[in-house]
Amino acid sequence: MDMDVNVDKTLDCKGLSCPMPMLKLAKEMKGMDGGQVLEMLGTDPGSKGDVPGWCEKTGNELLGVEDNAGVFKFYIRKG
Amino acid sequence: MGDPKNGAWRQLWATFFGKTWPVWAGGIVLAFLNICLFLAKSPWGGSGTYTNWGENVYQAIGLFGIDHVKPVLAHSYGLLGFMTLLGAFAGALFGREFALRIPPMGEMLKGLIGGVLMALGATLGIGCTIGGFLSGWAALSGGAIILALGFLIGTYFALKYLIWEMEALPKMSMGKTYTFLAAKGAGGVWQPILGTILTIFLLVSFSMRFRADNGMAMFAIIGLVIGIVLQRSRFCIVRAFREPFMTGESEAPVGVMAALVVGIIGFTVIKYMGVGTSTPGAARALAMVWVYPHFWLRAIIGGVIFGLGMTVAGGCAVGTLWRAGEGHIKLWFSAIGFMLFAPISKKFIVPGFAEMLPEWAKQKVFLPDRFGYGGAVLIFLVIIALWYGFVKWNERTGKFSAI
Repeated sequence: MDMDVNVDKTLDCKGLSCPMPMLKLAKEMKGMDGGQVLEMLGTDPGSKGDVPGWCEKTGNELLGVEDNAGVFKFYIRKG
Repeated sequence: MGDPKNGAWRQLWATFFGKTWPVWAGGIVLAFLNICLFLAKSPWGGSGTYTNWGENVYQAIGLFGIDHVKPVLAHSYGLLGFMTLLGAFAGALFGREFALRIPPMGEMLKGLIGGVLMALGATLGIGCTIGGFLSGWAALSGGAIILALGFLIGTYFALKYLIWEMEALPKMSMGKTYTFLAAKGAGGVWQPILGTILTIFLLVSFSMRFRADNGMAMFAIIGLVIGIVLQRSRFCIVRAFREPFMTGESEAPVGVMAALVVGIIGFTVIKYMGVGTSTPGAARALAMVWVYPHFWLRAIIGGVIFGLGMTVAGGCAVGTLWRAGEGHIKLWFSAIGFMLFAPISKKFIVPGFAEMLPEWAKQKVFLPDRFGYGGAVLIFLVIIALWYGFVKWNERTGKFSAI
């Protein structure tokens, strides 16, 4: 089941451990325009706590999180 | 739900294993467990695990003339690390968070290199983030303060490297990845069941194995609990040093500070009271537990190298263990690098390095000898309070944060 949202870009962080997913997320978001949506894929359980915290801190909107057999999908709209 | 009792049980399970625990809660429990280890035998340490494991490997294959090595399960720290690893595995299973996660080749290489650097740093600096810092501060060791400064410096520059690497060498963290054995979303049951079976098996078999050795029995059981707590709270000393310069988040540093405060209070009571001793000599030996001759040079050099390694690997001595238990293959490589290089460094690098040091750099500095117990504790608490103020201020202002 995929969220009903238009994705502008996909960032693959599967297999990566802390801190690489967060560093890559920050780098990717920097290059996006306001309002655009990023789909981030990850497998580190730590990201489930890190991504929401970072979004709140940086003013980006976390639209939703999905967990599909150990692959997490985060949908983030650039603020 | 039909059965209230069953519902209550599910609710209780969800409370403890459905969510990550607050880091500060993990920190407090870990400090308490460390106090128990100290009372049972000796304080919590991390790098001794890898040295023992590595020496066992080299003895088995007949390399480097290493012999008379204590078997893993007969060595306090070989055992403690082994049980921590299995405890983290059990914790991940309980939380349905275990999966074999194979990263890109570059990440595995970073794990290996990080492990090697940690082995070098821990042996040069006489301690790692656990024995030299969490336990070292609790032991009121002056060298432990310098070691922590080294960790901070090393972490800062390694983070700079990682950010640079993403731009200059993007392939290092890109490439084929694989994930196996992950739980199927929220409904899967095989992981919690396996976790329960494993935990019961470990408790029973190790209690029986060390029936006649209470100290080792305590190390085995406490090691198991430590592993579970580390994984459930995602307690991470690398993050404590790194996050102020990365996201600015203060949760990890505060969790470590909580562990330090509880540990300092507990250890100070043990040392001040001379718990379990009956002669002045024994009381003095107890007071000097975990106080090493690494003031200044050894601590700062070893600390910087260790800080570089743990940040590149993404886990320190125990961060490597609990993440390896969670299934991150990168950290398996970190453990392998640490384990294989620690005995080499200990045997061939450290002696020459130690020989070169001037006499004033070889002092054991026990702070109560200079400031009294009250003064020594106050010094640590003031440092922690300043650190707390800094991370909270930085979280609000983001002045030192990179992302």
